[in-house]
Order: sequence, then structure tokens, then C-alpha cells
Amino acid sequence: MSHALRPLFALALIAALPASVTAAELPEHVDFVRDVQPILEASCYDCHAGGTAEGGIRWDRKSAFIGGDSGEVAVEPGQPEESSLIARVRGEDELMPPEDEGEPLSESQIALLERWIEQGAEWPDTAQAVDEGPRHWSLIKPEKHALPTTAHQDWVRNSIDPFVAARMEAEGLKPSPEADRYTLVRRLYLDIIGIPPTLDQVDRFVNDPRPDAYERLVDRLLDSRHYGERWARMWLDLARYADTQGYEKDNRRTIHRYRDWVIGAFNRDLPFDRFTIEQMAGDMLPVPTTEQYIATAFHRNTMTNTEGGTDDEEFRSAAVVDRVNTTGQVWLGLTVGCAQCHSHKYDPITQREYYELYAFLNQTADNDQPNEAPVLSSPLGEVIGEIDALLVKIARQKRALAEYRSAELAAAQTAWATQLAEQGPSPPPKLSTWQFIGPFVAESYGAALSTSFPPEQEIDLTQTYDDGQLRWEAKPEYVDNKVHELSGDYSSFYFYRTIEASVPGPLDLSFGSDDSIKVWLNGRVVHDKQIGRSAFPDQDRISVQLRQGENQLLVKIVNATGKGGFFFRALGGELPKNVVEIAQKSPESRTTDEQDALAAYYRTIAPLLKPLRDQLFETESRLQSLRAKSGGPTTPIMLELEDFKRRETHVMVRGSFLTKGPRVEPGVPASLHPFPEDVPRNRLGLAYWLVDKNNPLTARVMVNRFWEQMFGRGLVATSEDFGTQGVPPTHPELLDRLAIEFMEQGWSMKKLVKHIAMSATYRQSSHTTPALMEKDPENRWLARGPRFRLEAEMVRDQALASSGLLSRKMFGKSVMPPQPPGVWQVVYSGDKWETSVGEDRYRRGLYTFWRRTSPYPSMIAFDATSREICTVKRTRTNTPLAALVTLNDPVYVEAAQALARRVVEDGGSNLEDRVTFAFRRCLVRPPRAAELNRIVALYETELAHYRQHPEEAKQMATDVLGEAPAEMDVVELAAWTVVANVLLNLDETLTKG
Amino acid sequence: MNVFQKQLQGITRRHFLHGGTAGLGAIALSSLLAGERAQATPTEAGPGPLSPRPSHHPARAKNVIYLHMAGSPPQQELFDFKPKLRELNDQDCPDEFLEGERFAFIKGHPQLLGSPYEFAHHGQSGLMLSELLPNLGEVADDLCVIKSMWTDQFNHAPAQLMLYTGTSQFGKPSMGSWVTYGLGSENQDLPGFVVLVSGDKVPSAGKSVWGSGFLPSVFQGVQCRTSGEPVLYVTNPKGMDRAGRRRSLDAIRDLNEMQLAEVGDPETLTRIEQYELAYRMQVSVPEVMDISSESVATHAMYGSDPSQPSFANNCLLARRMVESGVRFVQLFDWGWDVHGTGKTTDLISQLPKKCRQTERPIAALITDLKQRGLLDETLIVWSGEFGRTPMNEKRDNSKFLGRDHHPHSMSMFMAGGGVKGGFSYGATDELGYFATENRMFVNDLQATILHLLGLDPYEFHVPYQGLKQRLIGPTEDPKIHHDLIA
Repeated sequence: MSHALRPLFALALIAALPASVTAAELPEHVDFVRDVQPILEASCYDCHAGGTAEGGIRWDRKSAFIGGDSGEVAVEPGQPEESSLIARVRGEDELMPPEDEGEPLSESQIALLERWIEQGAEWPDTAQAVDEGPRHWSLIKPEKHALPTTAHQDWVRNSIDPFVAARMEAEGLKPSPEADRYTLVRRLYLDIIGIPPTLDQVDRFVNDPRPDAYERLVDRLLDSRHYGERWARMWLDLARYADTQGYEKDNRRTIHRYRDWVIGAFNRDLPFDRFTIEQMAGDMLPVPTTEQYIATAFHRNTMTNTEGGTDDEEFRSAAVVDRVNTTGQVWLGLTVGCAQCHSHKYDPITQREYYELYAFLNQTADNDQPNEAPVLSSPLGEVIGEIDALLVKIARQKRALAEYRSAELAAAQTAWATQLAEQGPSPPPKLSTWQFIGPFVAESYGAALSTSFPPEQEIDLTQTYDDGQLRWEAKPEYVDNKVHELSGDYSSFYFYRTIEASVPGPLDLSFGSDDSIKVWLNGRVVHDKQIGRSAFPDQDRISVQLRQGENQLLVKIVNATGKGGFFFRALGGELPKNVVEIAQKSPESRTTDEQDALAAYYRTIAPLLKPLRDQLFETESRLQSLRAKSGGPTTPIMLELEDFKRRETHVMVRGSFLTKGPRVEPGVPASLHPFPEDVPRNRLGLAYWLVDKNNPLTARVMVNRFWEQMFGRGLVATSEDFGTQGVPPTHPELLDRLAIEFMEQGWSMKKLVKHIAMSATYRQSSHTTPALMEKDPENRWLARGPRFRLEAEMVRDQALASSGLLSRKMFGKSVMPPQPPGVWQVVYSGDKWETSVGEDRYRRGLYTFWRRTSPYPSMIAFDATSREICTVKRTRTNTPLAALVTLNDPVYVEAAQALARRVVEDGGSNLEDRVTFAFRRCLVRPPRAAELNRIVALYETELAHYRQHPEEAKQMATDVLGEAPAEMDVVELAAWTVVANVLLNLDETLTKG
Repeated sequence: MNVFQKQLQGITRRHFLHGGTAGLGAIALSSLLAGERAQATPTEAGPGPLSPRPSHHPARAKNVIYLHMAGSPPQQELFDFKPKLRELNDQDCPDEFLEGERFAFIKGHPQLLGSPYEFAHHGQSGLMLSELLPNLGEVADDLCVIKSMWTDQFNHAPAQLMLYTGTSQFGKPSMGSWVTYGLGSENQDLPGFVVLVSGDKVPSAGKSVWGSGFLPSVFQGVQCRTSGEPVLYVTNPKGMDRAGRRRSLDAIRDLNEMQLAEVGDPETLTRIEQYELAYRMQVSVPEVMDISSESVATHAMYGSDPSQPSFANNCLLARRMVESGVRFVQLFDWGWDVHGTGKTTDLISQLPKKCRQTERPIAALITDLKQRGLLDETLIVWSGEFGRTPMNEKRDNSKFLGRDHHPHSMSMFMAGGGVKGGFSYGATDELGYFATENRMFVNDLQATILHLLGLDPYEFHVPYQGLKQRLIGPTEDPKIHHDLIA
């Protein structure tokens, strides 16, 4: 840990000793090494030394003084009564050592400790434990090991294989032969793009005589646009991506642009370090693009609670906790979550360190609002280029504003700060409630604009107009900072309020209007804009000069037709509290952070910088109107608070957001690599730290994840836990080598997938024998190829692809394929599942609408998760409920019906050809003779059955998919549907072999 | 089954127990079995994950029926008689209670609300029950009423998660999952953990309250639906009868066996078994879900009606389930969130309505189980997710009487399964604000239930993400309340 030590007080106070111990029994001067350390060693070290820091405290280092998780000061030199060490050993607080851990300290031992503290608690540096560095394997930087030699040298294809072969030999195993081409092509398609090959694609590969046919296939697949869809699936579990907010109401959330960003990022092979930085802190890059903003939605996938009476701060902090935990899981492979409440003996992270990480993520603008603010309206198509050009301009203008330096500005700031410190903040102007009257209807829009209705002539709140139909009304509901709707064609509406100022001075007003707007202050026109538009916040900003006392503000909104609208807020009225506090400190006692905060705030009001601010505002307005005009879905994004609005972070005692412990600053755990020196200590810096070359975990965790996807089991089996409780790697040197190569290859994920796919290890046949099963049931030593059940999305995608129903459409809003009625029964929500029509019925599984409280049931049966929190690894079960899905779910019945029609249409004319066609569409390889015969037998039985039962035949062939083409025999189709249903349910179909 | 298959099956069984089949969960299961419960190797019962497994110590209850009144009923109107509250009706709630308090909806300084309902002694035990519970009064001597429950959550979703998963955060296994994971189930043709929902709404926390978290999904609650298909996708496609399904399953089995012979992966054998189980479930689930075969007298006792989904039907179904050997039956009934914002959420109309819908079927369930000799081995638990305030909520000056969410005290009851009958446990202060005597936190309830089922709540864990994950949470604070055990 990097905590600064408290200064030691040299003053030795001699206080009265406890009556039971006489002063004579105690040494005059307590010597730490001679007298105190033996006590600590005997009674405390078991739980509080070396790698074990129960409660976040270690008694073998002087940093113990500042205490652990409880937030109490353990040793206050000179003041035993203020030191929780004494309270604990006396049992006044929680007794230490605890009853079942050891004998309580004797009175004389306690007296010794007290005297030691009274005398200043000296602890020589030489008597501190020297940290021997991290010992756990995953915290040591990976090393590039030389390739081991192996007897199977001829088997080796790339640098993966020698490690695997050497390990096999050690276990008395040998590699399996390479799988046949049918198996390989199916394996590669499923692993790389997640959908099976078509018959043509199969034949092309199987018959490709070129020596590099395999590599060509791998490359072709890596170039497929479906590659991104397959791997996005893995990432979306980690990102806890869902289409709803979670918790009780579980309202919908629009965030699919993020899902699409992930797909795109995989497809263009965005290097994993950039992939990380953009998702963690894309908004903080020097010139963020729209896409980079969207990437930050990664951490906006946290849940939002809109249940009645919830405390926004409670659930904001729950979201930050989730972000810390997810970051730990995704990049570090560590469960940091437990440290939220307490330090655990063996964990590499203490409670204090947990909140130091939390501090990095505690500075974003979002705070559990039902509307998910801040959101980015993100249009699609060409306009993005125009928008990004404006974003560049904004970034430049912001930098100009932030970096402007001049003696004049510095002097002005000093003068302002001095005045602020002396006089305190002047009370902000007081705005009365809006008085409202309207609509005054005219013949035309033009007339409405030009007519000077009575309020423009005189404000008399008691007057009525239009035979008493129009009167002034107080409208407290027209709150500031919100767009309010108005209605009436060719109508004028008037808003009036007073502004009470205690001192004269400038005030910025911001408006939005639908359509035209005109503003008077104290009878003078200060703004006039004839325009047709929809109302948005902050469309126009003006600066006005207030006089002391009452000022009168009148606003006229003129609506053409349809909906009208109005928005208002006054800017910069009230000073943030911390700004005042900083101003009141003497300049030399301000910390760097405080100086920055003060300067940052002053730049928002400095008269000298008004031209720069106006330019910025102008560009921002253009951006806003461009976005408003071009529409497009919104995406919740991360946005860092301004310097002067930063939150303080405290340890939360026992994890409760209400119980604040000591304040902490952003920092990274001492057991990990140091924070890089050349990056800022904020969320962006944290992102750089995650992908720092010295990080022992990120690359390992990530390569292990890809390995797990392709082999069904990671080199570290507990891919969710690289900590001390996890399982060590089966091939540690291989893991290290892959991790280093991953970084050396520019963090290219495609290269990593290719590297694994090209290995001889991966190409092995997955056939096994009882002897091999006995020896290595889990295939830890990789003496055979991978064989395991497909994941939920692949089960769906494959059935649709085999039957020819699958839509290849990419991106966009999530879709709702058929689901049984009554599955969505959500408390306090009338939201309904609206089954998609057309090709949206048949989209890939990753586009299925994901409601957290009620996920798509057939996917859950195949172990998809509810995505409420980050899931590193799905379990893989084999249950009757999953069998019922592929047997009976109308989605799969429909697929069988569609496949039946394909068979009749394209499967050839004789029965054997047709069976082979159907079989290969599901299993890729041709059937063996026995298989063929068995399916033929089934077909014939079913054909005979349905001949006898034409009504049932019709249902079987058409009930989900609909009317069959007239030229097809429904009885025949019914029999083929049964065959297709059987094929879609075979173990081999559901398994990647 | 040929010799090769037999051999494979032997491997499969060990394979499952040593961590292959179901990934992490099975690893956990293997350590569970190999560690604390080494004696628990399933033998004759078959290799399935739901095979019955012996408990740690002799169990007092074999099965659980958990009756959850979702939204949370007001204890003051049902079990916790507070004459003082009535005396102080409409007076300001004393300040000392309100300091630092947060409420879901109450704003300003709330007034106390005495119960509008009368209480009386029932049975030989003289248990005090509200006039809203006349039928439960008849079985008072079987009830173990706990008045000192409390929780630390006051929103529905987190409180329900707390109750069922031991923590208010998402992602942990639910109580029913833990129990079926630990004990398996007696009937392999039915799910081991069944969920029945009435009131047209799933609970606030969604399906997570019967989710399996990091345990294999085979342990998650299976929602049996009382309209439409009883279990999703249990019905064959239209145009395929049972004989047709048998024929197609025979083909699947034959083809899978060819595959097994070729590739030799025992997982294929497991799949064959799961498909056969699915086939049996296609009959056994609709059968157990069909209450039309019950006698007129039984329907009269429960107030059930086969043509109309209801809580009463679900109580009858719960009996049929435990009779058939289902380990854990979880009922949720929506409609108890009596805030008093209108007639459908108040104490005068809504609460009596909910009581009428539920208390007779519950009394019937207890009586029925007793008559069949099943009450001793079936633990019935009744509760909400938190309590309700001793104060009138009066949201927006509502004229309807209602109470807000309240974590500091709640009442619940248990019956059968080894708990004391006709017994009142714990108490609250005069106003019923805080639980005072024998305070029982939700984790204590979980510990006590596990204990009754023969599981050691402290030892019963799964290693996951570097922690010993337990239903009762990470600390040693939860305690078994032995005093309410008979």
C-alpha cells in the first residue's frame, strides 16, 4: 500500500498507568523491537501479516497506524485513548485477538503497548516487513518461455503445440490424429463466425487441393462480417448488455448502438488495448468521435432503479460498485467485489484499495435517472462525418478555452477569488414562478409573429382577454431545465417572470423553442429569432445585464402548427460549494487539484474568455441541432464531471453508501503493477493502466477467454478467478507465451484466434476412448480436440441457418422472435412482447431483445444468463428442459418445417439423396450407411403414418411456417419435418466436435 | 445397453462428479461431495444431478412449500397485535423512530395507524390471530408465528433477492436452487424445484428469485404455468402425437448411440438420458398439474377450481407436487403491496380480498398435508419480503388506509416440518416499529430452514470466484433459531 505515514510525535507523554500494573514492571523506555514487536508477532501476525491482511490491516508494517477497513485510527502516537489498537486488545471494541483465534493480551502486555504509544509509538523503518513482492502466479509478469522439445516434433504446427505436446508426454498421453475436413470446416465456422457452413462452402473446402486450404479458410472466416457477431456475444455477457434497465420496473433502454459498436470493433479488429480504452474512457480521449462516445456505453449497461422511493445516490453508487467489479472481472480476472465490504485475508486487494479504484469511476455525470441521462443521440450514416467534424472543432475550442494563459486572466482570477473569499458568494438572482397566458390565436403563422398581443404592451396579471377566456396563470409546473409542451396552431404564448438581483451584473439565459421566440428584459427586446424547429434544451443562449432589484422577463413563443414547446434555464447562478471553500483558502495552501478546480470554474465565467466561450457555444449548438435534425437512436454514455464538480470518495463501511469511512483518492492496488507515470490519474489513466504492458493479468485473462471459447475450457479453468482461490493454469508457460505474443502482435484479437485455430492442438480429432476418458475426462491435457455443446445463441443460429431461415441482416434495434404468451408478466409495467415480423423473426440470437427480469426462455434453457451483472463464464448443462426447447419450441418446429421444404425442393429426387441433403445441412458430413438407413426407415414410417392422418400431416408441415407451396405434397413435407426435427436434436448437431 | 455403454455410463457418473459435465457447477458439486459430504456418493439412485442425496444430519423436513405474499402484507393487520398503536391512532409517530429513517413513499411527519381489525385467541395454544384469518385460526395449533423478522432492504426487488438469495445483489442462487443442489429431488420425472405464480405478475425481482446463479441451471426453479403449457415447450408440435414423439425419440436415440460408438463422448449418453427424461416429463408434468382429478370435497376445502387459475389451485398443486416428491415448491402471489393509494391497494378493501383468496387454501393445505401424513416432513413457510410501517402512508393525502415498506419488523409463519405448532416466537416494541425479542434476520431464517432440512448452513457452500459462497452470506452472524424447532 502506498499510504503516507502519519508524522510521529516525538513528545513522550507520561500518563498514569493502570492500577493493576505498577510502573516498575514496565521498562522506562519501551523499545519497539524488544518489547512490542514480539507481542504483535505472537498475537496478531496470524491474521495480520505478510500476505494476510484481515480487515485490511497488517501489523508487520508501520502503515498499520492508519488502520484498516473500520476506518478507525489504529495508533495515534502519543494518545493511547485515541488508538483503536488499545480499545481492541482491551475488548472495549471488538476483542482482538478474537476469542477463538488466541489468548487475550495480558494486562502487562497492554500496558506495554500503551506506554509505547504514549512515548510516541516509535517504529524503526528497519523493523518493517519488506514486501517480498507478489507471490501468486497470476500477479507475476508473464515471461516468454522457450519452446520445450518434444518427441512429437513432426506433429507441431506452431508455438502452441510444443507446450501442449510436452505436457501430454508428461502425462503419458499422445496427440490424437487430425480431424477430417468435414469436422474441421464445421468446427472453424462455428468457432470463428458462429454459424455452420453451407453445403457449397463445405464442398469447396473439402475439395480444395491447395496445401494452404486450411489457412485460407481461416482467413476467409476472419474476414467475414459474421465474425464480429460471434465474438460480440462473448463480450456482451461480460458487458452485461441488455435492452432493459433492470430492477423492479425493468423499463426498456435504448443502447443497441453499443452492441453494434462491439460487433464493428471485432470486425475491424480494433486492437484490444484501444478496445479497452475506448470503452473505459472514450469520452475522455482528446478528440472523441461519436463511435468512441458510444463505446463508453460499456459501463452504462449497469442497472437503473426507478422503483418508488429509491435514493438516486444509493443506486448511482450501486452502479459504480458494479463498474468496479466488472472492470476487475473483465480485465483482471479478479473478484474484487468482496473487498467492497471488507478485506479478505488472501485477496490481492484491500477494502481501501477497492475504494481507490472506485474513486476513478466515481466521477461520471450519470446518476440513476429514469431517462438514463446523459445520453447521446447518435445518427447513422453520412451525417456522422459531419458530426465528428464538429466534435473535433469542439475539442479544439475546449482546449483553447482550457489552455488560454495570460497575465491578465491570472490577475482577473485572483481578483475574483479574493473578492469571493472576502465577500462570500453573492446570492444568486431569484426567479419567480412563471406566469403564463395563451394561446393567442392568429390567422396565420406570419400574423402570429407580427401581431403585438396585449402582454407585449402591458403586463397586467389581473387582466383577462378574449372575453375572459384567456387569463394569466401561475405555472409552477413549468420548471426550469426541461422542455415543456405547448399546443395550438398559429398561436402565441407568453411567459412572464421577475428576477430579483441583489447586485447588478450579468446573467446568462438559455432557451429552447418550437417555433419562434422573442424575449424582452425590462421592456427591451434582448432576443428575437424567427425560426421553425422542435424545442430542445439550450438552443439559444443570451447574456443579459440585470439591474439591482426587480427585473422583468417576458418571453413570447410562436407555434406554427402541430406541437409547440418551450425550454428555459438560467446559467451560472449559483456557485458550487467547493469553489467557495477553495477560494477562501490562501492561494499557497491550495492543492493542485483545488487550483485546477478553481481555475476550471473561473474559466466558465471569466469576462475575458467570453468570446472563446461563445464560439464553443455556437459550435455546440450547431452540433445539437444537427443531431436533432438527423435523429437516430440514443445511447447512454459516460461523461466525466467538470473539475469543479468532482465527487469525494470515501470508504463505505461494510459496503453501505450511508456509512462513510475515510476519504480516499484514486489509486491502484499495491499488489499489482504501478500506475503509469505519463497518464492522468483519472478514468482514462485507469484504462491505460489496464492495458499497460506491465499488467500481469489483462493479456493472460483475455487469451484464456479466447482459448476457453474454442476449447470449452480455459488454460485457467476458473476463467472468472485468477486469484488465489482459482485453479492454476494447466499450461502456465503456454499461457504466458500466448499473453506476450498477444501484446507483441499489437493486441490483435483476430491474430490470436488465427494462432489458436492454426495449431495442431486445435485440429485434433475429438474422438475419445474409455481409456482416454478415464485418464483425462475433462481434456485438460489436450490429447484430443474440443467437443462440447454449442452455446445458446449458436443453437438458435444453427437451426435457422440449416433450415435456410436465418436472416443475415446486421445491427439495429433488438428484435422479438416468437415467445410463448404470458412469459412477460412484469410488475408495474404494461410492456408487451411484440413478435417481430418479416426477416426480424429470424435474426441471429444476439439481436434478441434481452429483458433482464424475463430473458428469452429458450436461450435460458441453454444457459444464457439474465445479464444483470457481468458473467465471465456460462455454465453448460444438459437437461430435459433444453431438450424440450429444440424438440417443441415453435421456433425450432418452424425451422424443421422450413428444412423439410428445402429438402423437397433442392434435395434431389431419390430418397437417399434427400436424406443426405438434410443430414448434411445439419451435420455437414455425409451420413454413414447405418445412419442413412435409420433415417430412411424413420421417413418411411412417418410417411405411412401421415398418409393415414392427412389432417395431422397438414399441421405438422405448416402449423408454424404457414401454407406450403401448392406443388408440394403436405404428407411428404410432414414426414420430412419429423426427420428434420430429429436431425436438429441430435447430440452431434448440438455439439461442436 | 452393451458393455461399452455400461462402461461409459460408469465414467459418466464419475465424470459428472468430478467436474466434466456441467462445467463449474459440477466442479463445485464434486468438491461438495468429495469434501464435506464424501459419504454422499449416489449409487443406485442414478447419476443425474437431481438424484436424491443424503443430508448432513437427520432432517426434520424433507420438502419445502414456500408461500410468498409478494408486495408484503401488513403484520399489524394479521399477526402482530398492537393495542398501543390503536390507542395512539392518528398521532404523530414519535421523533426518535424517524431519525435517519428513509421511506419508500412516506413524506413529511407520518401519523401512526392502529389496525382496524380485531384479534382473538385461537386453538389450545391461544395464538392471537386477526379476524381476517378465520380459517388459519382453525389450524392455529399447527402454526409457528414469528413476529421478530427483519431485513435491511426496503424496496421490493432487493428485499426479495435478500430473502431468497441471501444478498440484495443479483447473480446468486436462490433458496430452492441451493436446496435441490444439496439434496436432489425424490422424483426424477419432475423438476426438483417448482415455481407457481398467481396474481398475474411475477415478483418484482423477476426470475432471479428462482434463478440458479452460479449453480448449474438444472437447479433453477421451473415455472409451472397454470394456463397454457404447464412447462414451456412440454407440448409436442401440432400434428405429432405421443406415439409419433416416441418414434422420433427412438430415432434420435439410435442415431446418438451410433455417434457414441464412433466418438465415445459420455456426454452423448447423458444427452440420450435427458431426452428420455424430457419424454417422461411430457406426461408427468401435465399429470401432476391436472387438478381436475381431485375430489369435489378437496376442491371445496381449498376453494380451488380447475377452470380458473388461482392461488387456491396453486396450494392444491403444491400438495400434489410434494406428494410426488418435488423437493421445493415456491408460490408467489401478487397483490399485497398495500400502500393505500386507492381502493385496490388499501387495508379496507384490498387486504381482506387478498386474505379471502389465500388464507382458506393455506389452511386447507395444512389440513390436507396433515391428513395425508405429509405435514411432518413438509415445511410450510409464509412471508412477504419485508414488513409494513406502523404509520399510515397517506401518499398525496390519500384517504385510503395503507402502510409503506418497512424493513425493521415483519411477521411470518411456518408450519409442519419440525417447527413448534401453536407457537409465537419473538416480539416487537409497543408500536411494532422494531423487532425487539429474538430478532430474526432474513439470513437467520435461511439458516434455520437449511438446518431443518438437514443441511449445515455454515458448511453448505460452493467455491466460486474465490469465495466460499453460501446461502446465508459470508459472515458468521446468521444463527439457527433452535427455540422454534419442536
